[in-house]
Amino acid sequence: MRRGQITWLFAIATAVIVSFVLLYPTVEFYSQDREALKIDNPKDFYSLKKKALRLGLDLQGGVHIVLQVSDPRGGSVSADIQDQVLEKIRIRVDKYGIAEPEIVKSGTDQIVVDLPGFTDIDTAKTLIGSTAQLQFHLLRSPEECQNLLQAIDSVLAIKLAGPGDESELAEAEAVPKSDTAEEAITSLFGEEVIDTSQEVLDEEDFAKSHPFSAILDRWLGNWWQITMENFYQAQQYLEMPEIQEVIPSNYKLAWGTRPVKGGDRRFQTLYILNRNIELTGESLVSAKETYDQLRQPVVNFELDSDGARRFSRVTGQHIEENLAIVIDDRVESAPVIQSRISKNGQITMGGDATISDAYLLAILLKAGALPADVEILQSTVVGPALGQDSINRGKQASMIGLILVMVFMAIYYKFSGIIADIALSLNILFVLAFMVIPGVNATLTMPGIAGLILTVGIMVDSNVLIFERIREELRTGKTIRAAIDAGYDRALLTIIDSHVTTLITALFLFIFGSGPIRGFAVTLSVGVFLSLFTALFITKVIFDMRKKYKSLSI
Amino acid sequence: MMRIIKETNINFIGQRRFSFILSGLLAALGLTAFIMIIIGEANLGIDFTGGAEVIGSFDRSVTVDEVRDALAVVGHGRAKIQSISGEGFENSFIIRLQGRIESAIPETTYTEEGKMIVSMVAVEGDKLGDLLKQAINDHFTDNKFTLDSTNNISSRVGERLTRDAIKAIVFALLGILIYIWIRFDFRFGVAATIATFHDVLAVLGIYFILNREISLLVVTALLTLAGYSLTDTVVVFDRIRENLKQFRKRSDYASTINTSINEVLSRTVVTSVTTIMVVLTILVFGGEVLFDFALALALGIVIGTYSSVFVASPVIVEWEKRAPRRLK
Repeated sequence: MRRGQITWLFAIATAVIVSFVLLYPTVEFYSQDREALKIDNPKDFYSLKKKALRLGLDLQGGVHIVLQVSDPRGGSVSADIQDQVLEKIRIRVDKYGIAEPEIVKSGTDQIVVDLPGFTDIDTAKTLIGSTAQLQFHLLRSPEECQNLLQAIDSVLAIKLAGPGDESELAEAEAVPKSDTAEEAITSLFGEEVIDTSQEVLDEEDFAKSHPFSAILDRWLGNWWQITMENFYQAQQYLEMPEIQEVIPSNYKLAWGTRPVKGGDRRFQTLYILNRNIELTGESLVSAKETYDQLRQPVVNFELDSDGARRFSRVTGQHIEENLAIVIDDRVESAPVIQSRISKNGQITMGGDATISDAYLLAILLKAGALPADVEILQSTVVGPALGQDSINRGKQASMIGLILVMVFMAIYYKFSGIIADIALSLNILFVLAFMVIPGVNATLTMPGIAGLILTVGIMVDSNVLIFERIREELRTGKTIRAAIDAGYDRALLTIIDSHVTTLITALFLFIFGSGPIRGFAVTLSVGVFLSLFTALFITKVIFDMRKKYKSLSI
Repeated sequence: MMRIIKETNINFIGQRRFSFILSGLLAALGLTAFIMIIIGEANLGIDFTGGAEVIGSFDRSVTVDEVRDALAVVGHGRAKIQSISGEGFENSFIIRLQGRIESAIPETTYTEEGKMIVSMVAVEGDKLGDLLKQAINDHFTDNKFTLDSTNNISSRVGERLTRDAIKAIVFALLGILIYIWIRFDFRFGVAATIATFHDVLAVLGIYFILNREISLLVVTALLTLAGYSLTDTVVVFDRIRENLKQFRKRSDYASTINTSINEVLSRTVVTSVTTIMVVLTILVFGGEVLFDFALALALGIVIGTYSSVFVASPVIVEWEKRAPRRLK
């Protein structure tokens, strides 16, 4: 062996050792009970996880959300607004205690949030996709609500009956058509009072003349309850332009945040609010979840001095009335004002809220409302079991693929094939090690594993080219030594040319791809690039360890 | 020395009339598929159209038809429902639903007994998954359905992905054309690009005929095979270039090219065998996520190998025949 040879061997050995060192934390991390470590020693868990090979959401499970940011006034979103939304979401996610979130801007008006290991999609959607605009509204009086209900019924009855059925309806339709909504209500009031306790009309007739009342389950003064089966129907009615016209402009109809249980049925609540906003979440200085005396989850909040003044005035003037707590146009609850409240208030959680709902709300209120409208464009959750299944399949597929190729090479090219196999194994080792180099921190995804397997096929191609060339050179009568040298020499350019095309496509996949596709582009290009080194260089060094060949097994 | 392919002298170039017809058909099929994609008739994945994908498992075994019945209640009986299996995944299903409608207007119909059916036929992608989950839970009250994964995509995400996918394909093909042009010459560059286009179109066409879903991963596979098929073409071209250095008589042009193909044939076959071996392992063991991806690659390898021999090189021969270059 010449001295140059020893130097090269030393270099290769160093690369192998460095790779093993780089990959050691990965092996350590993934071979132990990670859940146990996370609970026993979170500090070790995260420091080890940071050094280990990072798995994509599709492999370790987690939530992926794409958020569209839009200016409520229309027009494009400024970079500043996008930054502010991102910052607020980061605060929310951090406060909620989700580790290692990845929150990045995408394009000029989108934000992508990845929460690895977190699989509660509903919480994630609320946490990230809520504007969290808090508003306090008073409710309209029960009489006003009753009038509104009658107005809706009469307009809807005409609309549903259709143009041909007017005569049949004339009886039921006690209201003359009026031009304005206000007029309709005044004319209705006192003329016909619906008394539901008396079953004067049989059910079918009642439904015909009072189609909206008919689908309501309960009238509770200034809010109405609707069973889940009728919920969509009610929404559809309320969206009709004719109905929208009947609702006076200083009224606001809003649904409850979550359904309420009653017996074995579930109800949605529709609140009839005064459109005027008494106070917004901007006046809030703090919020904290807790239980009230009845062991119900609540959120206690504290207002700034200006907010406290306004709140004190409103609550003082409207004692015994309901005050609705509205978050993003949904009513959380509408408790009765018992006494004047100034600085410290309490939000009663509606529906079947739990303490975690209160916790979530407190965090949203503390972080403050987003400065723009947001809409969830994509929400993906991968359960840890599915991720683990993907890992197992990926492992299995790579091992089998690798073994098949190695056996084939060893049979087809004998000793030379085994040399290629050594290079192949080193190539995979180097690709994985490259991915965990601090600063590179590439992410392994399921398509990434496919890229790695594909690299195996592509990498042996280099050695196939060389070996076939050596065989050709041998056939022309060259000595073994000369044939080996000529084989490597001539195949070099071909190999580079052919791999550059793969690298070009991988480059554009990386630029234009996202998430899992990027993972594929990374493993494929790193694999192909490193294979130039392993397939050309390492095998040559091994061939050159012997100076003279009497025979060559190829 | 073990050899799959002994020294051969197959007249590949002589078969070009036959191969041009076959390739023309494949390309025409691909173009049809491409047009169908543009007019929205192709089987595109929810990545592109928007929609929802739900993966979940039942406690007890359930048939695809039963799941379909549950979804029919909410008007989604036409969802794609696929039974999957795996370790820890008994009684599991993938349910895919495509939706490109933006507003949420429920439709109400009544059965003969007067029972009302509310179907959310028009829901933005983000809410579809929740609806499916609810519908299944309501239907199978005594058989718990556990979600393993959901994916809700708005059609607006799809528009953006489609744009990005087209950009990636155009830029990659341009990049390849320019590289081959620089490394070889213009004719070789054009011939290689034609062959690559042919491969991508052929796989796309076959996917269309098989009515397999064209997802983002399949598009990724198409781009990958563009790169792979070029590898094959470049190897053949490289040998042609080397042999053309000894090129003397014009009448020998076609036979020189034919000899070059024969010389690298064993490499072409061996590499295709090793690559297809690993792709087949992904196909068989990679699971549902990677199946369509691997299938596209497997088809691509077969077609890419064929095209480097039967398409790229004959194009050069034909070109030379019609517009001979001067001998050096």
